[in-house]
Parts: sequence; C-alpha cells; structure tokens
Amino acid sequence: MSKHRVSRRQFLSYTLTGVGGFMAAGMLMPMVRFAVDPVLKGEDTGDFIATPLKTTDINTEPQKVNFKFKQKDAWYESEETGTAWVFKNEAGEIVALSPVCKHLGCIVDWGTDKEHPEQFFCPCHYGRYEKDGTNVPGTPPLAPLDVYPTKEKDGFLYVGKAEPRKGA
Amino acid sequence: MRWVAADVEMFQKAAEYVDTVIVPLLPVSFDAEMKQHASMAEFTGLLTTQLEKQFRGRIFLFPGFVYMKDEVDSLIALNHWENTLLEKQFHHIFYVTSDSSWRQREKDLKGNVLWIPSLSLDQMQDEQKRTIVEEQVKQLLPLFIELWNEK
Repeated sequence: MSKHRVSRRQFLSYTLTGVGGFMAAGMLMPMVRFAVDPVLKGEDTGDFIATPLKTTDINTEPQKVNFKFKQKDAWYESEETGTAWVFKNEAGEIVALSPVCKHLGCIVDWGTDKEHPEQFFCPCHYGRYEKDGTNVPGTPPLAPLDVYPTKEKDGFLYVGKAEPRKGA
Repeated sequence: MRWVAADVEMFQKAAEYVDTVIVPLLPVSFDAEMKQHASMAEFTGLLTTQLEKQFRGRIFLFPGFVYMKDEVDSLIALNHWENTLLEKQFHHIFYVTSDSSWRQREKDLKGNVLWIPSLSLDQMQDEQKRTIVEEQVKQLLPLFIELWNEK
C-alpha cells in the first residue's frame, strides 16, 4: 500500500476545490460564450444566396446573373430578384459586382456604350466604370460599384450582401 | 424614383438629374369591364415598377392617374397634370396605359403615350409573370434611351 496517506482535512479540501471548480465553470462558461458570441456569428454563412451560375462557367467576360431572395418591407414579404455582374479578374479570382449605379441608382450594363466597349455604362447620366468596378473620373458616379462577397458551394456561385468600396 | 418620402428626399437633392416622368393611366369602371380594368391596373403597375428600377436615377414614377372610364373630362384633368409637370423641370413625360382610348387622344397631349395591351396575369405563375414583364420592359428601354440621346 502507498505510504502517502490522505488525511481527512486534505480529502475534504480536494473535494471542495473540485466541486467549487465545476460550479465556477458552470457559471463562467455561458458568460464567456455570450462575450465572444459576435465572433462565432461571423462564421455563420446563412446570409449567402445561391445563384444558378456554375463557377466553371465564369470567364473573363462579365455576365449577368439573377438570383432570388426574400425581402421584408414592413408587413409585406416579397421575393425580389437581385442581379450581379460576374467575371474572373486577371488573378483568376471571381468578382461579383452590383449593377446599381452609385450616382442615383439606375442599372448599369456592360459594354453598351459604343465608344467604351470594355466598361460598365449607366444609360441615365452616362456614368462609366472600369471592368473592376472603379468609377471613371469625370463621369457622374463618385464611388466604385458595390462588390458582393462570393463563395463556391457544390459547384455553384453564392453571393452575400453587396458591400461598398472606397472611391477612386 | 417613386412616390415615397425617402425617394422624394433624394429627388429634392438631385432634381437637376431627373428630367423624365412616368404617369400610369388607370381606368376604373364597375360594369362588364370591371375585371379587365383591374387587370390593366395590375399589369401597368408591374410594368412601371420594373421600368423605374432600371432608370431609377432619371425617372420619377408618379402614382397612377386614375379616372372613371366614362368620364369625359379626364383629358382636361391630364392636361392640367401635364402643364404642371412641364412647368417644373421635367422635359419628358411618358404615359403608360393599357386603355386604347388614349391612343386617339395622344395628339392632344405633349407627352408620349406608351400603349401596351394588357395581359391578364391572374392565372399565371409568379415566375411566368416576371419573365413576361421583364421581356416587355426590355423592349421599352431603348425608347427612353433614344429620346434622351436626341438632346
């Protein structure tokens, strides 16, 4: 048998520390969980919307892709159609641009201006954007087109909520 | 821009960029044509909403001009709208309607009448409605762009 004998006092202090530790952990764990909750939320990908576009079909020429999402306006919930201009940039990354002109909100089109076939063009006030979405100085828009965060899932393109970028 | 407070605020800040108005013309009646007139209003409403989405920054979409179908004075009332709008900074007026009687009256109006035969959408699936309206809108877009390019 072991020579090391546990006294009554030691046994009680060990058990009390153990039980106290469990209790403290039980109280602290939810608090810590609450405190770091925003960090855990960040990984949530529920906000991404599926598009009918296969990522293998994306090439360097911008193409229009429509996707559907639900929008709630006070009481009324409706299904809205969103649009993105999708292409691969020189680095091979997928870029999805919002088609909403940053001037007054018209819908821009790719290559419809005969003099500038490699630019996005807004028919309302002749605003222009480079292929990467940067606004052409001297035209009405003052900011680049918004960008959708993108990701790939099961071979299809998913887009998030369009985010603004810093002006040129 | 639409006839809602937020858009009006935007309009007041950027009025010099907005030179075109769309006024939907919506007939109302209570007889045999009642249902037909309702579906006209539905169709015209969807169509003009889509048009507004495309050209939001240059077009002001007004709430519909509603009149009783047998009312003879509707032309006079619309002339009054027209004069008020032209007195403001608007240069182009488009009337979107499914009521064919406006085609004969277009000569008495300064704006352009876009007469679009109405389709009864009530039997259709949402998807189908959307495709049809988008097709129609796509065909109307060049009309606006051409008119703007004239000046």
